[in-house]
Amino acid sequence: MKGVLLTALALVLLSIEAVLVKTFGFEVTRIDVTIAIIVFMAVRSKTIEGSLTAFAIGYLLDVFTGRPSGLYPALAVLVFLLARAAAQLLDGKSRLGYALFAAGATVGHSLVAFLLMWLTSKNADGRVLSLTAVPLQALLTGVTAALLFPLLSKIEPGERVDVGRYA
Amino acid sequence: MFSFLNRYREPLLVGALIIVPLISFLSRGGRGREPNFVDRAVLGLSSPLQSALTGVFGGLSSTVNGYVALRGAHEAANQCRAELAQTQAELNTLTEARAENQRLKEVLSFAEASSGPSIVARVIGLNASPQFQSFRIDRGEAQGVRVGMPVVTPKGVVGQVVRAVAGSADVMVMLDPQSRIGALVQRTRVRGTVVGAGDGQKMLLDFVRREDDITDGDVVVTAGTDGIYPRGLVVGTVKGVSRPTVGLFLVGQVEPAVDLGRVEEVLVLPAVELSAMRGPGLR
Repeated sequence: MKGVLLTALALVLLSIEAVLVKTFGFEVTRIDVTIAIIVFMAVRSKTIEGSLTAFAIGYLLDVFTGRPSGLYPALAVLVFLLARAAAQLLDGKSRLGYALFAAGATVGHSLVAFLLMWLTSKNADGRVLSLTAVPLQALLTGVTAALLFPLLSKIEPGERVDVGRYA
Repeated sequence: MFSFLNRYREPLLVGALIIVPLISFLSRGGRGREPNFVDRAVLGLSSPLQSALTGVFGGLSSTVNGYVALRGAHEAANQCRAELAQTQAELNTLTEARAENQRLKEVLSFAEASSGPSIVARVIGLNASPQFQSFRIDRGEAQGVRVGMPVVTPKGVVGQVVRAVAGSADVMVMLDPQSRIGALVQRTRVRGTVVGAGDGQKMLLDFVRREDDITDGDVVVTAGTDGIYPRGLVVGTVKGVSRPTVGLFLVGQVEPAVDLGRVEEVLVLPAVELSAMRGPGLR
């Protein structure tokens, strides 16, 4: 149920972001709202539930690109697992820690997305230029994550993480 | 076998969630798939929401503009603030309406000049991933929009439709690194290919020989050789040409004729019978 709620929230946030980006004219950078939600789940939810929800949220992002190819569902689950592993070493449950986590995950997500698209793209050089937007994207995502923290905490207040077996 | 699956069901499931879509991505080489029923359901939910939000944010933007104007009036003439605010608010509304009217007039006159039936559409959102340069319009299959149709404004080329569902469609703008446009320089008729640079701001003019005559300020138009865009649509202006000491081709940058970050209404042209088109914005 929480997964469905978070996926619905992701759909609403992606729709809002799409309109905001159009209205205010951010041509290059975006706020990675999906990563903010996935990282939150990585810190608080169970592996299977979180992976399935991450997949669903990645699928939404894939559909929103206009050319769904399967890239973002795979990356979403991968980011979920990596963030889950990193949560063993770093504090991601406080508001600030979560915001920094989300910013870091955005950088990782963008770099892996770039790498995979660079490997498969005809115009590989053009993809390099898209990396210039990553620092601003990470900053905006971190700020957005901090703002979303109270809302996400109400949906998924879970304190226990079943890490250790597969994380 | 069953006990193995049962024992490792969690890592197997999580692994499948990564590997299956990744194989799908790699096997397609990054190209998108045809929309399935889940895609259509997601788009069916999100497109009306985006249309509504576009209206809300448009209204908010007008309000903010009105507020800014009100503050300026307050500083300049405090005693006339209330009257000026009212006038300014009305002026803002009228200015916005006039600008929209003008844009729609241009689009409609362009549509009338076209040979086939074209579709006027409103942009309702930009996509949420910076790796793909695309936006969504509020016209889809139900209105006759199909994949591969060119999308333009009276000022020039915008991009092409890459996905269409019942009530909306996604347009890949020409700034995307996967975009290719057969083009020629209007002044010298030199042919080349315009490719998205990937930085979201400019394009590159590729496959033009070093010795060809191209200079800054040359207008680049579509050549009509790519099977997508009709001949003679304005693509942009050459800004910066360099001729490397090695290699067959020069390096040219092209600035889009259309401000792609702020386009609000577009025209979707039919995919057939385009070669005879001439009209405003066509050269």
